[in-house]
Amino acid sequence: MTVTSTTTATATATGAVADAVRDGTLPGRVWLYSNYHCNLACSYCLTESSPRSERRQLTAEQMIAVAEQAKELGFNALGITGGEPFLLPWLPEAVLEMVQHLPLVLLNNGTLFAGERLERAAKLAHPDIALQISLDSHRPDINDMARGPDNFAKVIESVPQLIARGVRVRIATTTAGPLEGPHLDPLRALVKSLGVLDEDHIVRPIVRRGRADEFGLGVQAVARDIPSELCITADGAFWGSFGPTVRNGRLDTDLLLTRTILPLAVPADALLSAVGGMPEGADASLGIR
Amino acid sequence: MGPTSTGKVLETSRLKTTRSPRVRNDVRMPRVELFEATTAPLATQTYWANGDPGPIVAALASVPELLGPVLGFVGPALGAGAIGIRAKELAILRTSALQGCSYCIQAHTVVALDVGLTQMEARALRGELPLEDGFPLASERALIGWIDGLAGATGTIPDDVWNAARAHWAEHQLIEVCVTVGATMFLNRLATGLELPTATAVLERLTAEGLQ
Repeated sequence: MTVTSTTTATATATGAVADAVRDGTLPGRVWLYSNYHCNLACSYCLTESSPRSERRQLTAEQMIAVAEQAKELGFNALGITGGEPFLLPWLPEAVLEMVQHLPLVLLNNGTLFAGERLERAAKLAHPDIALQISLDSHRPDINDMARGPDNFAKVIESVPQLIARGVRVRIATTTAGPLEGPHLDPLRALVKSLGVLDEDHIVRPIVRRGRADEFGLGVQAVARDIPSELCITADGAFWGSFGPTVRNGRLDTDLLLTRTILPLAVPADALLSAVGGMPEGADASLGIR
Repeated sequence: MGPTSTGKVLETSRLKTTRSPRVRNDVRMPRVELFEATTAPLATQTYWANGDPGPIVAALASVPELLGPVLGFVGPALGAGAIGIRAKELAILRTSALQGCSYCIQAHTVVALDVGLTQMEARALRGELPLEDGFPLASERALIGWIDGLAGATGTIPDDVWNAARAHWAEHQLIEVCVTVGATMFLNRLATGLELPTATAVLERLTAEGLQ
């Protein structure tokens, strides 16, 4: 992501949210859950996403409006996650409109880039767009145990193809193990061999919410431990991208801020109020990002 | 037919619940999720700090941005105010009866008794006795006439109803009653529409008082 876009966004916006982002009280990124359904059904999924999940999707118009208003309010970056965003046929075009307002990272599972879909994704070759693809192990058996059959092979195939088309790719590794150490060296080497920069490989813990909570996986985190990023979904606005989780088919509401998502000032103000009353959390030491 | 303070009568349907609530194992089931301390959205969790806040809060918590403003309105609108708690409960219970809200009728029959209304007065407000039996004072009958005009009818309210009330009550008091009746009607529709369950303690009290 370019520094230029970020600087421009925060420099021109005024108001309480812009001030809070500038002084670090509020994280600058706004997350959007574009949809909840997914072609995979990962064991640690925060949202119990699967092919059978209710879609609960935002519209392209809503996502673009969030992007526009986020910039006006003083946020400086966007993130899109799901579900699997690339199941939405209009996604690349919407993302290209959104990035006119703010730089963004687009989380996806990297398994939907065959044939025509690859060329559609190639439209996202833009300096302010990064595709963040999940890869949890250098061993196909371990990776696929959590993420499903052939996931490893599809990711290994698609990442170089995207990079060859000028798309910036980040790799996210979600692990129940230590976040640093020599055990990660083979994975880091693999990621590097795919053409991904070291700085674009993040390793993060499983957060014990959603399906991960059902299986007792990951780190325990309360609200103040979760980065207070504004997160927009079809069900409302939440505290953090780890907020709108699902367990036993039911949406977790403990981190729900507002049902109103637009105008974005409504949930942004609610988040600001909530942050004001919250002691500092352990997100940094837990490695939640 | 139920009698009114003005000598006219209201249709019985205006004074009784007209539809059966959903009942499971003798307990009325709400149409919506009633949030609990563990599921309540972040900004609403303070309402559970002193225990169960009741089904209205537990339902409204589903829309956190509305809960604070709604309670900020209905709290003072239903509180004692300038007209006093007796007149307020008279307005709330009468309005609830006219609107046929069983949740509010049950809850506010108990509140009315607690603030000093008699069983006969409660029954009269609920349309079970002639108003004259419960309210011999002309001032209170005139006030009930104003309440009936607000909550029991549509369109304009006749001047004689207003003038009768103004003969006994100050303008600001009748304005306050307008707000109380409006807030009560909002709660009536909320509780009825969502089929909110009456607290067990309220039902037990009503049974003990013979007012179920």
